[in-house]
Amino acid sequence: MGNQILAQAAKDAGAKIMFGYPITPSSEILETWAKICLKDKSLSVLQTEDEMAAGFGTIGACLAGVPAFTATAGPGNILMQDAVVMAEALRIPMVVMIMQRGGMSTSTVIYSQEEVRLTCFGGNSEGFRIVYSTSNLQELYDYTLKAFQMAWQYRWPAFVLADGYQGKMKGEVEIPDQKLSIPNLSPILKKGVNLRNCYNLEEEIGEIIVNYSDEYQRKRQEMEEYEDYQAKDAKIIILSHGIVAAAAKVAVDQLRKKGISVGLFRPITLRPFPTKAASEIMGKTQKIIVIESAIGQLSGLFKEELFGLNTTLIEVNKPALGFTPAEIIKTIQAYE
Amino acid sequence: MNNLPSFPQCYKVDSKPHKFCPGCGHPIVLKMLGQVIDEMGLADQVVLMVDIGCSLLAWDYFDLPTTQTHHGRTVPTAVGFKMADPGKIVIAYMGDGGAYAIGLQHTLTACLRDNPLTTIVVNNTLYAMTGGQLAPTTMDGEITTTTPGGKKEFETLKGPELLKTVAHKEAFLARGSTEKPLVLKQYLKKAIETQKQGHFSLVEALSACPTNWKTNAPKTIEKMKELEAFFKQGEF
Amino acid sequence: MIKILIAGEGGQGVQVIAEILAKAAFQEGQKSSYIPNFGVEQRGGVSLAFVVIDNQPIIYPKFAKADIVAIFSQRSHERIKEYLDEKTRIIKGPAITQKDAGLPSRVWNVWVLGQINKEGQMVKKESLVKALEERFTKQFSQNPELRELDLKALNA
Repeated sequence: MGNQILAQAAKDAGAKIMFGYPITPSSEILETWAKICLKDKSLSVLQTEDEMAAGFGTIGACLAGVPAFTATAGPGNILMQDAVVMAEALRIPMVVMIMQRGGMSTSTVIYSQEEVRLTCFGGNSEGFRIVYSTSNLQELYDYTLKAFQMAWQYRWPAFVLADGYQGKMKGEVEIPDQKLSIPNLSPILKKGVNLRNCYNLEEEIGEIIVNYSDEYQRKRQEMEEYEDYQAKDAKIIILSHGIVAAAAKVAVDQLRKKGISVGLFRPITLRPFPTKAASEIMGKTQKIIVIESAIGQLSGLFKEELFGLNTTLIEVNKPALGFTPAEIIKTIQAYE
Repeated sequence: MNNLPSFPQCYKVDSKPHKFCPGCGHPIVLKMLGQVIDEMGLADQVVLMVDIGCSLLAWDYFDLPTTQTHHGRTVPTAVGFKMADPGKIVIAYMGDGGAYAIGLQHTLTACLRDNPLTTIVVNNTLYAMTGGQLAPTTMDGEITTTTPGGKKEFETLKGPELLKTVAHKEAFLARGSTEKPLVLKQYLKKAIETQKQGHFSLVEALSACPTNWKTNAPKTIEKMKELEAFFKQGEF
Repeated sequence: MIKILIAGEGGQGVQVIAEILAKAAFQEGQKSSYIPNFGVEQRGGVSLAFVVIDNQPIIYPKFAKADIVAIFSQRSHERIKEYLDEKTRIIKGPAITQKDAGLPSRVWNVWVLGQINKEGQMVKKESLVKALEERFTKQFSQNPELRELDLKALNA
C-alpha cells in the first residue's frame, strides 16, 4: 500500500524518528512505522497529541541532527503549518508527507488536489519549501528518499505531496540496492548556537527574507524537476500533476494513436516550480489545458511563474474528484 | 558586598545588560538556573528552548544552545529533541500562557507520557509581552486588559496541581517564587536531577511583572504576597 | 505638512506624547496621523512614533525624512539616522543633554513635547494642554502634583 511504501522509504532514506497524529488517509504511515520500530530498535515513533506537536517534535529531532519526519492530511496540514513556517525561518530540514484528502474543512477522507496552495505557501511567509508531487507508487518511494536528501542539503522543509488514492492503492515498487546517505548530518542546535525567529525591526527581518529569497532563486534549478511526456512540439499540452498526470499520460498515448498532437507537461516539484523548462517546452504550443482536482491551484502556480506567456489557457477544474483517462480524452477532444 | 553571588559562568556576556523590564522575575529565575547549571557542571549538556512571550528574550541569555520556538510549542520541540539526543538535558522555558493555555495539551501530554524534560513556567498571572491580558493563572478578581472589571467568570488554572493528576510518581512538580530565590534554585536543581533519572519535571515560579501590573516597587512586593497567598508553594 | 519623528526606548513615554500631539492637531481641525513602531520588549528596545500634521487628509502615516526629530536616548540616535536630512531639526531630551530644567525624569517626555511644538509651531498651546489633560485625566485626578509638573514641563 502507498502508505506502507512511504514508511519503508523513510527508513531507507535514513530517518530515525517519526512523529504523527492519526488522520485519514495518512494513518497507515504512522502505523507501519510503529511496526518497523518493533523490529528495528534504532528507530523510534511518537504518536503526539496533535499535528502541531508532531511538527515541532520533528523540528526538535532535526535540531539534534537526527533525520525525522511526519505525515498528515487536510485539517492536520493546516495545523502543521505552525511548525513548517518555523522550519522555513530556522532552515530546518523537516520532511512532511501530505496525503491530500477532500478540500474545505473536514470534507472527505479520500482524495483531492486541494492542498497545493497550503503545502506550497501555507505559512505567514514566502514558501521557501521543496514540494514533490508524486504520481504513482514508485514515486512515493523515490521522492521520499529525495525529500530527505534535498532537505538536508538545501535546508528547506521538504514535502512529499501525494493524495489518498496513492496512499491506499496497492502495487509493486522497485527498491534499489544502493541507498544514498543523508548529506551534512550533524546537530543544528549546539554550543555557540542561539536561534531566534522573533525580530524587532522591519529592516532586520526584511533583509533575512530577501537573502533567503535570493538563495532560493539562485539554487532553484538544482531542485526543480518535471516530466515532458510528448509535450515538445505538441499543439495541445496538458498541464497536470500527481495522479491526475498519471491518467493524463494514458490519455496522451490514446489520443496520439488517434493522430491528435497532444502532450503532457508535468511539474514534479511544485516548489520550486520548473519555470524554465515549462517556458521552453510550452512556449510555442497553441493550447495549454490545465487539469486538476481543485479550482485553479495548479494553474495559479503556473500563471504566477509564467505570466506573459502568450497562449490559450484552459482550466478544467474538478475539486475533490479524480479524472479517468477516458474523461481526459473526451475533454481534450472537446477542446481540439 | 563580597557575599553577592557572581554571575553564572554560562551567561552570555555580550547580551548583557539583559532586555527584561526593571523588576521582572525572569532574570531572577534565569540567574538561579544559571547557577544550578554551573554547580552541576552541565554547560555541555544543556539545551534550552524558549517560548514566545517574554521568555523569548532569553534566547541569547546564556552561552548555551538555545532556540526560540512558537507560542505554546516549546514542550513538543523539547520532546522531539530529547528523543533524538537523550544524553542532553533539555529545558523548556515558558510563561504561563505558553505552558497553560496555548500549550496546555503539550504540557499535560508530556507529563502524562512522563517525558524526561525539565519545564520551567514563569507565572506572572497575565500575558506580559502582549500588554497584560488574561492568562489561565489570572487570580480571582484580578484586573487585566481583557478583564477590565476583574476576572470572575471561571477558575484559575493551577498547573502543578493539575499535572499531579496525570504525573508519574517519580515526576517532580513544584511551585516556587522569585521572592525566595534560593528555594526556587533547589527546585530547579531537583527538576534537572529528575530529568536525569528519566522523568518529567515542572517548576512554576511565581514572578512579578511591575510593567503590566502597573505597580511601583512597594505595590509589586505587596502583589507578590497576594500571589504567594493564592498559589501554594512547595513540592507536589 | 509637517513630519515629526519621536524616538526613544520603551517606557520613556515616546508614544504618549505622539498621541497627544496628533490629538491636539485633530481637535483644532487639522488633519493628523500617528503610527507607532516598536519591537516586542515592553521596556527598553526600540520605540519610534511618526506624527504627520497637515491641512489635507494624510494618506500614508510614515515618511522618508522628518522635519523635526526628537530623540530621548543616545541609542535611539542610531535608529533614526536614515530619517535625517540637512533640513531636519533635532531636539534632544534631558537624558542626553543632562539639562532638565529642574524637572523629574517622569515628565521629561512632556518637556520634549513642549519643545517640539515650540520648534514647529504646529498647534496652539491651549490645544496641547487640552489634549494632555484629557490623556491624563485619571492620573491627574489621583495625583494633582503630577498635573503641576506636566504643565510646568510643557511650558518650560
